[in-house]
Amino acid sequence: MDSLTDNTAKHTRRSFLDLLLGLGATGWLASVLYPVIRYLTPLPSAGPSGPVKLSGEQLKTLDKERFVIVPVQGKRILVFSDPAQNLRALDARCTHEGCTVQYVPGEAVIWCACHNGRYDLDGRVLSGPPPRPLPQYVARQDAEGGVVVTPQTA
Amino acid sequence: MSTASPRSGGIFGWLDERYGISPLIEYMRHKEVPLGAHPMVWYYLGGMTLFFFVCQIITGVLLLMYYQPGETTSYESIHYIATKVPFGWLIRAIHCWSAHLMIMSLIVHMFSTMLLKAYRPPRELTWLTGFGLFGIALGFGFSGYLLPWNELSYFATSVGTDSVKSVPVIGHWMLLVMRGGEDVTINTLYRFFAGHVVILPLVCFGLISTHLLVIQRQGMAPPIHAGTSTHGMPFFPNFAMRDLLLWLICLTVLATLAWLMPYGPKLPGMEWELGAKANPLAPAYPGIKPEWYFLWIYQLLKEFPPNLMGMEGPQVCLLLVNVLMGSWALIPWLDRKAQRGKHSPTFTDVGFAVIYFLTFLTLKASDLGVAVTPTNDAATAIVASYCAWVTLGIAGVTTLTRFFLYRHRYFLLSAAVLTHIALHGLVGWSYLTVGAVTVVVTAIVLTVSGLTRSGAEGVES
Repeated sequence: MDSLTDNTAKHTRRSFLDLLLGLGATGWLASVLYPVIRYLTPLPSAGPSGPVKLSGEQLKTLDKERFVIVPVQGKRILVFSDPAQNLRALDARCTHEGCTVQYVPGEAVIWCACHNGRYDLDGRVLSGPPPRPLPQYVARQDAEGGVVVTPQTA
Repeated sequence: MSTASPRSGGIFGWLDERYGISPLIEYMRHKEVPLGAHPMVWYYLGGMTLFFFVCQIITGVLLLMYYQPGETTSYESIHYIATKVPFGWLIRAIHCWSAHLMIMSLIVHMFSTMLLKAYRPPRELTWLTGFGLFGIALGFGFSGYLLPWNELSYFATSVGTDSVKSVPVIGHWMLLVMRGGEDVTINTLYRFFAGHVVILPLVCFGLISTHLLVIQRQGMAPPIHAGTSTHGMPFFPNFAMRDLLLWLICLTVLATLAWLMPYGPKLPGMEWELGAKANPLAPAYPGIKPEWYFLWIYQLLKEFPPNLMGMEGPQVCLLLVNVLMGSWALIPWLDRKAQRGKHSPTFTDVGFAVIYFLTFLTLKASDLGVAVTPTNDAATAIVASYCAWVTLGIAGVTTLTRFFLYRHRYFLLSAAVLTHIALHGLVGWSYLTVGAVTVVVTAIVLTVSGLTRSGAEGVES
């Protein structure tokens, strides 16, 4: 009977030590992995947080191509002039697989060449595989004749 | 350990006395390559893949002597290698050609292993490490593609990395870690560079060592029902000399291709003209495609609708790709008949069905030279029809060969895939709808008529 009690006690002690060892090993692993994971996770991209004014070169491209892609707060924004000569702005990142879309003036559509996705000028999906519309942004002409893109979704 | 025989002397004796290598030499002396029911050509493909990998290491190290990763140096240094450095164009051409030839021989090696059921016990680990190496090879191709920092590589990487976000819960974090930010930037290139030249080679060496070790330990798989045959060819020197000769031929072919077509054969997904430098603010241009071995996934992504089963189309598509790849990795455990050393005609047909499935999607993705623009949707239907005819032609030839030459009698799964291709390409039905119908009908036929059982009784491997 005594030996049985001894065995149980040993077993309990061994289980407890095993548990302690397991917890220690997990803690050790976590303390090694955590800094590595944090190190690999990139910091949020810095960029101007307010409205962005198009440069002279970007305005020239907009005039010539009818569209230009500009960086706003680390995002690619498509600024284009629609058939009624109104300025519009959409997120240039295709919602399918992240390619950069373009404005096709002849068809009056926004087109992604990667997987043939098509959106209307409000960013709604017309055809192809994109699952979501393109987020809209605000582009307006300022008093000095420049173009300003506001990062907030319209 | 002093196990050296008295006759051993010189360096061998010195080594043997210390490390006891005699038994190893003795083991290698008796190693044989099984000869039997199928042509020996299938036994050379692994060595051939290894040869191209060695070429990759050598040319890769040489390219590293000049390549400088960076926003203003990546593209410029590759341009410098290709235009100014003596024979730089040749080193780069061999690196690119060898990469494609390595993936080609790896794919043929994998399919031959699959069709000959060499994965059956006790060689499951050989199959699994081989599958891992296939994944590593795709990783090498994908990460190396970005390093020249040109327009094509930029968009291919954008699309390829974007798919990671489909992973539930940690998808966005994985995307950030892969790209080094929200978008593909030069930070992505730094990470891919580290992966391409350090991380992947380390993992690859480990896997290759295990793959070769288990092959050396177990020998090559004999054909089914020939396991007890003693008929074989000595590995040393007979097979090794043949291997060496084949490698010399491979080197000659590689050098000739690199010399004649330094920028690739200009086939879809198989060209490496430097082109324009990457510009994150330029729109994707028409005809942009990934490397040829990713074309089938690229095409499948196109075939899926925006939303399906309450999920986004690309998510469902990539889930399907993962399920297919996972099933492929688990074949040694799924193929119960081969596990018992019996012929498994169902899995032979699975192999051919997969070949037809991949062929059609790859051909369709290549567009057969027809440029897709926003206005020529009609062209895609014509492309689908041509690709269906080509695939059906290839399938016709292989099926007749299987029927008459190899006396195969089980064709249910390949017939299902071909029906799918014909209804989509020739009749014009939606790829996905007809695909789903084919899967359901095939499942019903398999269950109700018990064709699996009766088919498995056929005499084939």
